[in-house]
Amino acid sequence: MSTAVQQKLLDMWESPHTLRAWFATVDHKKLGKRYLATAFLFLVIGGIEALIMRLQLARANQALVTPEMYDQLFSMHGITMIFWYAAPILSGFSVYFVPLLIGARDLAFPRLNAFTYWTFVLSFILLYMSAISGQAPHAGWFAHAPYTELKYSPGYGMDAFAMALILFTISNTGGGINFIVTILRMRAPGMSISKMPIYLYSTLTMSFLSVIAMPALTAACVFLELDRHWHTHFYQVAYGGDPILWQQLFWFFGHPWVYVIFLPATGILSMCIPVFCRRPIVGYPYVVLSTVLTGVTGFGVWLHHMFSIGMSHMAMSFFSAGSMTIALFTSVQIFAWIATMWRGRPILTTSMLFALGAIVNLVIGGLSGVATAVVPVDWQLHETYFLPAHIHYVLIGANVFPVFAGLYYWLPKITGRMMDEIKGKWSFWVMFIGFNVAFFPMHLSGIAGMPRRVYTYPPGLALGGLNMTSTIGAFIFGLGILISVWNFFASLRYGRLAGKDPWRGETLEWATDSPPAPYEVEHIPTVVSRSPMWDDHDQDYDPDNERILDQGRLTLATTWLDANPLAITRIPEDSLAPLWLSIALFIFFGAIIMDWMLVALASIILSALLSFYWVWPKPQKEAA
Amino acid sequence: MSTIPVGISTSRPIAHLKIDEERGRYGMWLLILTEGCLFVDLFFSYFYVGNRTHRWMEETAPKLHYVLPMLAILIASSFILHIFGEKQLKKGNYGMARLGVVITIIFGLGFLVLEGLDFREHWPHTNFMSDSYGSVFNTILSFHAAHVIVGLLMLGYVLFLPFGPVDKTPYRPLHNASLYWHFVDVVWIFVIIILYLPPNL
Repeated sequence: MSTAVQQKLLDMWESPHTLRAWFATVDHKKLGKRYLATAFLFLVIGGIEALIMRLQLARANQALVTPEMYDQLFSMHGITMIFWYAAPILSGFSVYFVPLLIGARDLAFPRLNAFTYWTFVLSFILLYMSAISGQAPHAGWFAHAPYTELKYSPGYGMDAFAMALILFTISNTGGGINFIVTILRMRAPGMSISKMPIYLYSTLTMSFLSVIAMPALTAACVFLELDRHWHTHFYQVAYGGDPILWQQLFWFFGHPWVYVIFLPATGILSMCIPVFCRRPIVGYPYVVLSTVLTGVTGFGVWLHHMFSIGMSHMAMSFFSAGSMTIALFTSVQIFAWIATMWRGRPILTTSMLFALGAIVNLVIGGLSGVATAVVPVDWQLHETYFLPAHIHYVLIGANVFPVFAGLYYWLPKITGRMMDEIKGKWSFWVMFIGFNVAFFPMHLSGIAGMPRRVYTYPPGLALGGLNMTSTIGAFIFGLGILISVWNFFASLRYGRLAGKDPWRGETLEWATDSPPAPYEVEHIPTVVSRSPMWDDHDQDYDPDNERILDQGRLTLATTWLDANPLAITRIPEDSLAPLWLSIALFIFFGAIIMDWMLVALASIILSALLSFYWVWPKPQKEAA
Repeated sequence: MSTIPVGISTSRPIAHLKIDEERGRYGMWLLILTEGCLFVDLFFSYFYVGNRTHRWMEETAPKLHYVLPMLAILIASSFILHIFGEKQLKKGNYGMARLGVVITIIFGLGFLVLEGLDFREHWPHTNFMSDSYGSVFNTILSFHAAHVIVGLLMLGYVLFLPFGPVDKTPYRPLHNASLYWHFVDVVWIFVIIILYLPPNL
């Protein structure tokens, strides 16, 4: 039908190929791609830092890096991976796929989306400006006070840490708000809340966690900065302060954050496992409930990061029990995936292999997590290599492997080209073996008593072999990632054309072209089941052409529970305001680091003016 | 594939639906949620630090003679904004609505002036540098003051919007700004209840 209609939509939605348009775009597909590429770049940067550390630790008494540099390396590695890779790459998937999954033409706040992308990039630059000048933060990713106070950490490394994180919380909270409103308000007609793909539930839970938990990090960082530059006494015992306050605030944020970087990854698994098992997921309501309950319970477990600070038995028992409850909810999801495979006909594509690898590693990491949730065991293992082993099994098992499953599953939609399966499988096995060779020995070196965050160890403690094994494994793991990178670039050139639906997928994103047209869907789809691509209903059926919505940049708003059409949503035009506002905030936080108070004042006034400019109503372009 | 859309009920044909102006309200509620959590964390810090030290409550109770009038001003401003601002704008009385917003802004500025006087009074003995109590007390007050300023900027922005039946009424922007303004008021009630009243009892 009607290429005229398509042309009209294209004229409205396609942004011109100019430099201004590149910076001003609000298109969620472009921003989603940028999120994915940027976060992947940060993964590589954090990975290189890890490899330098592994080289240093390969043998006893090495001196590849100085102790000070080692402190900066492990801190930057942790900060980069946990904040600037793990969550943003999942945001990348959500930015790109949430509108496609719900049949909308963009997110609810497209300019906010651009703003959160730019602040994400600029906060990373703010953090690494300190590293380039040789004063990177050096107190680990959770930066426990009072070591971070000016007395013990002179220079501006910790200031950069605090300010970059506050800018990052702005970005992440904005993203969360955007996802919540999009998912609750812009789903295709008929996609009632009980028919939402599970990925939307995990994104929704993740977003609420961000919105509720991130302010604790902001407060902790503000206190730290005030302590360092304005002579307050939040974390100083001598003046009635308390360094444990940092831990309370940081971990009240920190544990929900674990689920921010974990839940959307389980959502990815719940998307690709059913497709490659050729059946809908087993126990949909239970998977949904356990996703949401993981988020809720996630607010009641933060003290388990602090068992060794000394607290009442009641508190320890409560938080120990809470932590074990989480294992229950995660198990429900894992058993649902296993049952899906059991009752389906699994096809071992690369994406499916990564999903399986994720489950295996996540189970090992989950079990070591239950071990550390037991208070006496935690006292024994605290600050040993057992914890890096646990955190890497959980975070690589439940973030990196699902992300690769998601990349192999969804990249054909994004690029329009298939990735090579043979290279992909090589990449998987090299990564899987390298990962386990690298991190399993860390359990043993931890039990043997090797402390974490120490730049070397003396010979004769029987740690040399374990560490050498870890180092070799780490390089094999890195090689596995490189194979996938090679695979990706090769696929852009030589990959088979994907077509609309290469996997015979279950959900609405597979109804669009690969890559999707700028306007995505000609008719806003309608949905009658949880598997819109597998049922008999034609989601594009629209005899009166009433769901084309070509009188402007329009999409549909629906009710949050039943997804009945409610209103027509205008999507704003491209705008440079988000970029300018992020730059103004970047200057503000940079000026705070350097103590340039006049610049800070000027840039905050500029930010207010730019906000006015951003929201000031502009005449809408209406197509005839 | 069959072509009957089953189970899709539309109350009205899509062509007759209105333009959605509600997204901003959702966004504002979520902003209020996250900012509310920020204040919960700040109050938590107050209790946490206070619980760990024995000295602060009894030392110098913060004086009430500025902050109680400030409370009255803020609550009055909220009612004025609602009754004269929003309700009148909804009825189409643009002049009255504009006046309501102006009065609210004047009240907000008055609040800030009184807060400055309060700061001038307590700063010599209870400031950022004095001890942990001074740090957390003044930080919470400063955060609240910053939120008052943001609220005033939002109201100021609404004031400059073209009022009147030009293209669309600024009812939504005013509604969102006043939601934020009410939130700032509620936070002040908690500041009084938590920071000011208990030490004076």
